[in-house]
Amino acid sequence: MLFLFIAALAVAVALWLFVARQGDAAFEFLVDQRTDLNLEELTGDKAVFSTVVPFVNKGTQDGTIMDCFPRPLLPQEQYDAAAVSARLELETRRRDDGYFEALIVPKTTGNAVIVTVTFTAKRGDIRQALAAMVDMPVEIYFQVVARGKWYVSKQRVMMTAAEIAAALAPAGVRQ
Amino acid sequence: MAIVELIPVKTRILTPGDDIVATIAAYAGDNIGPDDVVSVAESVVAITQGRIVRPEDMDPCFLAKLLCRLVPQKGSLSSAYGMQAAMDAEGKWRVAWAMVMGILAKLVGRSGVFYEMAGEQAALIDDVTGTMPPFDKHIVYGPADPNGVAEAIKTRFGCHGGAVADVNDLKRAAILGVSAGLNPANLAQILIDNPFGNASQRTPIVIIKNYAQAAQELATA
Repeated sequence: MLFLFIAALAVAVALWLFVARQGDAAFEFLVDQRTDLNLEELTGDKAVFSTVVPFVNKGTQDGTIMDCFPRPLLPQEQYDAAAVSARLELETRRRDDGYFEALIVPKTTGNAVIVTVTFTAKRGDIRQALAAMVDMPVEIYFQVVARGKWYVSKQRVMMTAAEIAAALAPAGVRQ
Repeated sequence: MAIVELIPVKTRILTPGDDIVATIAAYAGDNIGPDDVVSVAESVVAITQGRIVRPEDMDPCFLAKLLCRLVPQKGSLSSAYGMQAAMDAEGKWRVAWAMVMGILAKLVGRSGVFYEMAGEQAALIDDVTGTMPPFDKHIVYGPADPNGVAEAIKTRFGCHGGAVADVNDLKRAAILGVSAGLNPANLAQILIDNPFGNASQRTPIVIIKNYAQAAQELATA
């Protein structure tokens, strides 16, 4: 009886050690390595910018990003001249519907997402509307399934007013 | 000599609640003759049967969380949700016992014992990413009663036969269900090059034209 107990305990400890050593996937969006904002489109009342944000699975197991989406934070209390929306797509599997197709990311590898942000002037010209733009965070939410329980995490990209102005400058922004 | 011809049939994306036989009638009904065999992709059959589940709707048990750790990463049961799906389909203790036996068999150099003992669904489950959008975020089970589906196809269209097939681009073809009189091994060989294409091609139905005639000529030759 004692022998069985010790054997079961030994198996349990061995399994625990195995799981602990095995680890799991661990995703990180490398927001400080993103590209500068690029002006994709400029019309009378609309300006579209994009930036490429790399991400990596720095864990010890493959992992799946089940879903991923951006959330721009521009409350009207802070800035009311333009409305903003955002979408993202995988750099290597582009699509324009905002749908993120679940993606297996092998351990120690990565990819990148293209975050596209659209500003629409609430009144008049978008260049005028963005002339007094404020710094705006865009949060990237991502849902992960790997060895453990699924979870949602997020990381923040900061789009500064200066950067937006710089991206607009070649198009002749009116300050 | 009759030549077997494979005709993939494009459809819209099928969803739970669609009737696979009615779908074949809508997209391919006019093109099915008495010598033909109509084959359908197993994952699409499973989806129309509603045999899908999202990880968010599951609560994996301790055993699922533990046993998934023992499955190589590329396997569909390597996540707690895939393993729980297998346990839900085949029984928790059956899967656990199969895992124990599988490990012991591996120690003496024999592979595949886990899937032999864990039940058919354990081998058929597709984890998330295994199917095209919008089902890329679902776990998809294998189809229920594939022989019945194949028989229903044959009855509805008066063709030579029906089949439910699991084929991929890695030259792996398994016939999960056939109507009476068909030889699964022959069909698997015919479908080995995956005429269903990849998921985005949306051709879950393949008509095997002239199958009966060719098979008869082969038998009498």
